[in-house]
Amino acid sequence: MNVAAASSRVFARAPSVLPGFGLTLGLTLTWTSLIVILPLAALFWRASGLGFGGFVDLASDARVVSALRLSFVAAIIGAAFNAAAGLLIAWVLVRYDFAGKRLVDAMIDLPFALPTAVSGLALAALYAPNGWLGAPLAQLGIKIAFTPAGVVVACMFIGLPFVVRQVQPVLADLDRSLEEAAATLGASRTQTIVRVIFPAILPALLTGFALAFARGVGEYGSIIFIAGNLPFTSEIAPLLIIIRLEEFNYQGATAIAVLMLLMSFAVLLAVNLLQSWSRRRTGGGRHA
Amino acid sequence: MSKSEPVAIGVSNLSHTFGDFPALNNVSLDVRPGELLALLGPSGSGKTTLLRAIAGLARPDSGVISFQGADAEGLSLRDRRVGFVFQQYALFRHMTVADNIGFGLRVRPRRRRPTRAAIASRVAELLALVQLDGLGSRFPDQLSGGQRQRVALARALAIEPQVLLLDEPFGALDAKVRKELRQWLRGLHKETGLTTIFVTHDQEEAMELADRVVIMREGRVEQVGTPAEIYDAPATPFVCDFLGHAFRFSVAVQGGSARVLGADVATKLADGPALAYVRSHDVAVAPVEANGVAARLLALRGSGASLALEFALPGLSAPVEVLCPRVNVAGEDFVVGADYVLTARAAHIFPAP
Repeated sequence: MNVAAASSRVFARAPSVLPGFGLTLGLTLTWTSLIVILPLAALFWRASGLGFGGFVDLASDARVVSALRLSFVAAIIGAAFNAAAGLLIAWVLVRYDFAGKRLVDAMIDLPFALPTAVSGLALAALYAPNGWLGAPLAQLGIKIAFTPAGVVVACMFIGLPFVVRQVQPVLADLDRSLEEAAATLGASRTQTIVRVIFPAILPALLTGFALAFARGVGEYGSIIFIAGNLPFTSEIAPLLIIIRLEEFNYQGATAIAVLMLLMSFAVLLAVNLLQSWSRRRTGGGRHA
Repeated sequence: MSKSEPVAIGVSNLSHTFGDFPALNNVSLDVRPGELLALLGPSGSGKTTLLRAIAGLARPDSGVISFQGADAEGLSLRDRRVGFVFQQYALFRHMTVADNIGFGLRVRPRRRRPTRAAIASRVAELLALVQLDGLGSRFPDQLSGGQRQRVALARALAIEPQVLLLDEPFGALDAKVRKELRQWLRGLHKETGLTTIFVTHDQEEAMELADRVVIMREGRVEQVGTPAEIYDAPATPFVCDFLGHAFRFSVAVQGGSARVLGADVATKLADGPALAYVRSHDVAVAPVEANGVAARLLALRGSGASLALEFALPGLSAPVEVLCPRVNVAGEDFVVGADYVLTARAAHIFPAP
């Protein structure tokens, strides 16, 4: 095999009517290196100054562990709630016509658009023990604000649009004759939903879940007001990073950041594997 | 059709509107057990709506549909036991071919559900029937259009339907595959003896495949009959025109006969003005010395087995297209611009509107 053939395999590309492969690939690599890879590399480089022992010491600190656990568990619970509620909302928006539908549709994006501090203040005011929702809930003995539950509520608020916006277009594109086919074959409505519709929208739902989760883990502004930030109870990892920075403990901050990065990567990788597994089941996704 | 004929599916006085658009307008139809019936018509003629109403997928505004004499109004889709094949197949992409075919059996209520082994053997049987042995573990996306169509058919047959309904079954396939599938479907119908209704806008498909053809137009039934009946004795000008391109002349009926394109055609119509329809291949072309109507050859196109000749006729604004088999004209040289004589071999005469 000659060199040209070998190199054309390294830079594999399908023949295209649009020119500019070299230029666009170059820009893509430069840009992702500069914007994504370089800062992450710097983070790891800084953390490496700790040495392995120092890193393990910082990582196993009780306060750090509890903050990380809260951030990830709350983000996962929030994303799970969002997956369910977002699916329902997307379904209603796609399948039914009602007065004010466009308004509801537009409101879905508000958590995207609001500055996070504004939503944080609003949530804190609402769920505080004397707030509109906090007061009746307190009478039932349920405390939301200044507890881990508050973190989950904030994650639910900011993550909702991700699920809705992922699932909505897929649901709208879903061929109605699939449901009709299932019905003529004798499937009940539940069977049609569980066996025909749900598998078709599962990849989009997983993407929505992953995005909502990623947003929840990294969220700061809208959580800190409602969480109350009690160490070992309602203190989230991003806040602990800020606290370490304010203590001029840069290495401590970096260690937490690296841990968050690795854990987020693990969760997103798991979601991705799940997605490719569900795609493989649809015949390699030739037309996906 | 006489009242004594057995009826598998009865449709009476069915009407359905989409908004202001009348998709079905007082349609009545009897489907005989075991027959292969075609619903033929241009798009918007209501043929698909009728098919969907029979399946229970559309709920008509008024009228009655009965299965084996029993009103189907209260029947759920599951209880109708209708095998429906969709135009775009509607296969479940996340399931293998075998799972698609077995779907109707797997969703049955537990006490009527066959065992796993029974489902697997039924699926294997159906795969063999539709000539897809060995492809059970593929996914629909890995199949060709014709193969997908047959999976859809096998899936519909799996529930042992009392009637098979096909919506434009060959619409999305190329001409050659379409032709093969057509013959194959004919054979399958013979083998299973299942009452089958299919929708098509392709008149050739309907005439070749069906035992009887229902011609629809604007939500009404124009004519029902065997392909030969419909072709030889079209009930309306529309039917005549729809089955084989026809051109129209204004003629005068006198004493039970009308002169159409150099020929005397018998008719039962009373004396007076009438419309004559002559089909493209019912015209004989001869050299100028013969009897008939003189016409100038404008253009000549070869299209497969037949030759299309375009003539300008005096008194007609649009040119007239005549089809003749290529073998008949092999020895002759048609000259564009020359004059010929046309004679109608057959014509259909309808009262003037």
